[in-house]
Amino acid sequence: MLKEKIKSTVTELLENKRIDFVIGYGAGSDAGTVRPAFVKSVEEVEQLIWSPFAVNNLAKFVMDHLYENIKIGVIVKGCDSRSVIRLVQDKVFPRENFYVIGVPCKGILDKNKVAKDFDLSGDLVDFTEQGDEVILKTSKGEFKLRKEDYLLDKCYRCETPTPVVYDVLLGEEVAPFRTDDYEDVKAIENLSVEEKSRYWDKQFEKCIRCYACRNVCSACNCRDCVFDMAEPNWVGKAANLSENTAFHLIRAWHVAGRCVDCGECSRVCPMGIPVNTLNRKMIKDMKELFAVETPGKNPEQGPVLGTFRTDDPEEFM
Amino acid sequence: MKRLFEFIGFEPGRFHARWISGSEAQKVVETARKVTEEVRALGPNKKMRDDRC
Repeated sequence: MLKEKIKSTVTELLENKRIDFVIGYGAGSDAGTVRPAFVKSVEEVEQLIWSPFAVNNLAKFVMDHLYENIKIGVIVKGCDSRSVIRLVQDKVFPRENFYVIGVPCKGILDKNKVAKDFDLSGDLVDFTEQGDEVILKTSKGEFKLRKEDYLLDKCYRCETPTPVVYDVLLGEEVAPFRTDDYEDVKAIENLSVEEKSRYWDKQFEKCIRCYACRNVCSACNCRDCVFDMAEPNWVGKAANLSENTAFHLIRAWHVAGRCVDCGECSRVCPMGIPVNTLNRKMIKDMKELFAVETPGKNPEQGPVLGTFRTDDPEEFM
Repeated sequence: MKRLFEFIGFEPGRFHARWISGSEAQKVVETARKVTEEVRALGPNKKMRDDRC
């Protein structure tokens, strides 16, 4: 079982003092939720779990420990591993201070989709996977569901099921078995100018400027953020449509070419704004213009917009 | 930048970006004319016009 593998790996790492602590998953408030667990000693290893709902990207938590020169173990899925590359490439957290515990992943269940059909209010006791079926054993009953029907949207277009970077891999490598077709972006691109405007106005109107999308983002790793500054007041703080539009555009541009498309921004948005679609639009454009891969997928590929190439299309010339 | 502006519903032609050297006077003039013409044809901008507080 993966859970046991995680526990034994972490115990060994902590006992041998190879790492100072581990960021993993702990049980959340209900069967469909996990919470980040920070395990500093062997006694605390018991809190670690693995769940088919383990959606959180844990890599960014290392940013609470900048300049401390400690070694941190992080449990990452394929998508989260791109965030590790992001933080290393941006020189935010050195690679040698990471101990990356990779988990090959065939898709994570979307709690909201599952909760529509099943009662997830109990605790997750255990789960088993048989082929493409998952059996969830919760304190409120046992549920059997077809994984393919309940995955997170991002999992249907996952190109890196196996972490792209790891120090230890728990389980067999999963060969990439899906491709990203950017259907969500294309659907909006195909709308008329007025429809696009109306769609995004409706989305940006909802924004309460909580900055959760920025806080969760592994590409948002500046020490001072333009959205926090009052002097000069680069971006208005008022939550109205104009200022919100400015905020979302600027946020998207500030991570352009570095966004690893982990999808956390959309997930944490309390108002349900598809924040990540803006990033995905730019990733799609960059792939078309510069023939690059999703940032973070290829550790050799530097930041797309920070690379000079003589064959740049130069649309602005 | 232009592409994202259009993605969120600005009209194509509302926003222009050009790289012009200080010695390319003719290009400055041509670009300014083109931008003015295209934007005039589109009429006043309606997006992002709320008052700043």
